Amino acid sequence: MDELLREFLTETSESLDVADAELVKFERDPNNREILNNIFRLVHTIKGTCGFIGLTRLAALAHAAETLMDKFREGMPVTPDAVSLVLVSIDRIKLLLAELEINEGVEPEGSDSDLIEQLLAMAALEIVAPPPPVPATVPVPAKPVGMGALVTQSLERELLPGEVPLDELERLFRQTEVEVPMKGASKQKLPAAPKPAALPAPVEEAAKTVPAKSSGKPILVKDDEHPSKKDEDGAHGTPVAAQSIRVSVGMLEHLMTMVSELVLTRNQLLEIARRNEDHDYKVSLQRLSNVTGELQDAIMRTRMQPIGNAWQKLPRIVRDLAQELGKHVELEMHGSETELDRQVLDQIKDPLTHMVRNSADHGLEMPEERRRLGKSEKGLIRLSAYHEGGFVIVKISDDGKGLDLARIKAKALENGLADEAELAKMSDGQIFRFIFAAGFSTAAKVTSVSGRGVGMDVVRSNIESIGGTVDVQSKAGSGSTFIIKIPLTLAIMPALIVEVSGDRFAIPQNAVLELVRVKADSEHAVRRLNDSPVLCLRNQLLPILHLGRLLGLVDSSVETTEAEFENRLIAVMHVGNESFGVVVDSVSHTEEIVVKPMSSVLRQVSLVSGSTILGDGHVIMIIDPNGLAQSVATTSEATAANVLASSVHADADADQVMSLLLFRAGSEDVRAVPLSLVTRLEELSQETIEKVDGRSVIQYRGKLIPILVANGAPAEKGVGTRPMLIFSHDAQVMGLAVDEIVDIVESQLDLEIASTSPQTVGGAIINGRATEVLDVGYFLSQAFSDDANHLSSKAEQPRLLLVDDSPFFRNLLQPVLKGKGYAVIACASAHEALERLAADNRFAAIVSDVEMPEMDGFSFAEAVRGKLGMTDVPIIAMAGSNPSLAIQRGRAAGFTDCVAKFDRPGLISALQEFTGSAQGEAA
Amino acid sequence: MKTALVVDDSRVVRMVARRLLERQSFVVSEAQNGQEALTACYDAMPDMILLDWNMPVMNGLEFLKSLRASPGGTTPKVIFCTTMNDIDHITQALSLGADEYIMKPFDADILNEKLEVVGLIQELSE
Repeated sequence: MDELLREFLTETSESLDVADAELVKFERDPNNREILNNIFRLVHTIKGTCGFIGLTRLAALAHAAETLMDKFREGMPVTPDAVSLVLVSIDRIKLLLAELEINEGVEPEGSDSDLIEQLLAMAALEIVAPPPPVPATVPVPAKPVGMGALVTQSLERELLPGEVPLDELERLFRQTEVEVPMKGASKQKLPAAPKPAALPAPVEEAAKTVPAKSSGKPILVKDDEHPSKKDEDGAHGTPVAAQSIRVSVGMLEHLMTMVSELVLTRNQLLEIARRNEDHDYKVSLQRLSNVTGELQDAIMRTRMQPIGNAWQKLPRIVRDLAQELGKHVELEMHGSETELDRQVLDQIKDPLTHMVRNSADHGLEMPEERRRLGKSEKGLIRLSAYHEGGFVIVKISDDGKGLDLARIKAKALENGLADEAELAKMSDGQIFRFIFAAGFSTAAKVTSVSGRGVGMDVVRSNIESIGGTVDVQSKAGSGSTFIIKIPLTLAIMPALIVEVSGDRFAIPQNAVLELVRVKADSEHAVRRLNDSPVLCLRNQLLPILHLGRLLGLVDSSVETTEAEFENRLIAVMHVGNESFGVVVDSVSHTEEIVVKPMSSVLRQVSLVSGSTILGDGHVIMIIDPNGLAQSVATTSEATAANVLASSVHADADADQVMSLLLFRAGSEDVRAVPLSLVTRLEELSQETIEKVDGRSVIQYRGKLIPILVANGAPAEKGVGTRPMLIFSHDAQVMGLAVDEIVDIVESQLDLEIASTSPQTVGGAIINGRATEVLDVGYFLSQAFSDDANHLSSKAEQPRLLLVDDSPFFRNLLQPVLKGKGYAVIACASAHEALERLAADNRFAAIVSDVEMPEMDGFSFAEAVRGKLGMTDVPIIAMAGSNPSLAIQRGRAAGFTDCVAKFDRPGLISALQEFTGSAQGEAA
Repeated sequence: MKTALVVDDSRVVRMVARRLLERQSFVVSEAQNGQEALTACYDAMPDMILLDWNMPVMNGLEFLKSLRASPGGTTPKVIFCTTMNDIDHITQALSLGADEYIMKPFDADILNEKLEVVGLIQELSE
């Protein structure tokens, strides 16, 4: 592209941005001549420059806009319509510019006569103001001014309205009396006396500044007053513009790179100096080092830009939005001079814009609503920015209605981001954070402004991609505040240098929480959970990533064992909501690294974000924490902030994560029960326990319910209160008195230890601790002894394999089946089920969905009967539609029975029928 | 060597003017407003000033007024740059001591003619 054209495009779009902002200000303050003059000048300049590039279409449009602006200057009342029209014209100009850029300087076809006509029509409306204070045509002196020859200029187009023919101008020019002699002392000024009375004011003023005119002396006079006069002129309004030049970004980037190289060389020199004590060059080197440091700082500063640059478009956006929505919105901006790296600035421009739009659209109420609430009709959006530590904090607050907690909860439930019990335990702040989850929009209706459900999640990921965070505070009725925290610069950052399989890598320090060394007998142990290694760290189970394997440096087909992790170093990292451990071979040191962007061919490698040169001259890759996080389970991502454990094989296992209620009862050991089996949590007043027929009961919701303690015995009457879990099954309701509710966690319920007591179904590792999982069936059977017989013996609890690709159905059926006394192992696919069966075929029955992706129920049954040779195990199929058809086909495939998917009693009775032997023995 | 000062708040205009003037063997310096231009003139008076009217901080007319009142300020030839709308300003500028005016947009021919008129270049070489 031509240099001139490129310059034109940058300059013009800068001018337009400023004009946008100024126009919005102007609309509010139509009497401010300074603003008006600014805008006029900008439009005027655009028009002027268009001509040089030969852009007639643009020039014509700018001219029409200028004509209207000129009328404002002459006193035409400023109406919102008129401002809108000018804004629309500016938008059109932007559009043309965009096409111009694409077409390499060729103006797009088409006409703007529509806009031009409107602009001119508006300009032609009545001008009520007095005639402009324009000097009348200067009286014509009798003699022609002998100055140069007449130059004919021709114009090869028709005059635009408001233009004056060139000849006319030329005539005026020749006729204008010249006040100041042109050729110094040699040319005397005409006698001043016969001065025309109607001289225009400026000329008169000019004349006044000329001293001693009556003497007829030449004007060229030294006068001490003048410098001060000039100073005053210069000082009017804005301070003198700082001396500055424009440097291309590419040049700055280049400088930055060179300085980086210099820093690296300096580091190398320092390294050498450290090895050779007492050298003559030590002092000089120290000086070089200091200067280099300062140079680096200075170059860094050249990259800094005020955040106001990213805010420039906002007043216009808010203004348009307010008009569209019929709201009154005031935008306040504080701290726009706060500087940050231009790379960071570019990255937050869009998120900021989006958030401001959101505040205007969702945050602020309609004027009448605000009036009703006793607020001022005009809603306020306040942007503020300031430095804090190495970060820039940007706040976007509004005084609107605040986030709708109830609606966010409902939406979170609907989207399966959390369940009721989790929501109940969450703080408001945690719930508000759901708005940053993908596809989350609480807008009642989709407006053109926002509410498409892509937005805040994009905002969050944009901000996180530059190492920032975003949070929200909100108060019902008084507004919301979004807080963005972003690093000052991305170019230099502290990094941890680690080694994996002989190669070194840099991990950005801000993502690393701590380093731990694995010791089997310490609290930093690696355990296996669901075939994946996890790190037990204090109270958490963290998924472990093996950097060497991820990067393909270690053969990943080799199984990992716990022993392999012994004594290894794990960097515990936190990215977004995700915490995980990264196994490395060794950690050498931390270093301020200069980030060099990845070559474009390697950009799609998500695990690395760039490269850097170390002090010793080696080039190493920078690991991208976000890329690592993506390799980790998405489970915790989906279930919000508080998930403590998740596994590396997220996709396969995510569905088996369930909510577990942890409590203590009868001993110090923590026990667990699936939350889905707990109907309610209540406080039990121990005074209210009554004895009926040898059982302990309490009155609960108008019924007498039995109440037990954790060893299965009836609870005794006592003093004070204690927590109580309510279990219910069909019409049976019972209470279990416990000592203390500890927590609710998300975890895989993977029973690893067989049950030794009838009260439990087995032991599982929850939160890194072996935890007994309570058997609700046992307690129900104890409480209702007439029902209890077939459930009494845990040793004979039949095991069921449940195969269903739908997490919904797995979650639905597991408690039901467990309540019926079955130990349920759930698989999300037929393949997974076959693997399980191949490893362990001791199942009393298999319950399988018919319609599943990849391998359906029929093929699954065939495989079980054929390949695995399990001819005896009952397979009960659940058909979503048309069970009779499924039965016909299913018999051949090996189904024992087929029930409709929602027919739970049918399923139970089929199970009881076909696993009858097991049930029968117990009964 | 003849010197020229281009005073305009638009980089594009300055760029164009610089190209045209350099073709005529001027040594060109630039200023983005009247204030900067004055500072430049106090440093060294140029032979010629191509002066825009509408600029922030200090506009062309204010500059011209100050320049002509300064020591040595009458030496430079001032060509006042304007658009079709600015007749009033042309008359004012001429009253204040501009030597010539030129309409935006201008091309090499028009500018050269004006330069000839003010006596800064000789008859164009064909």
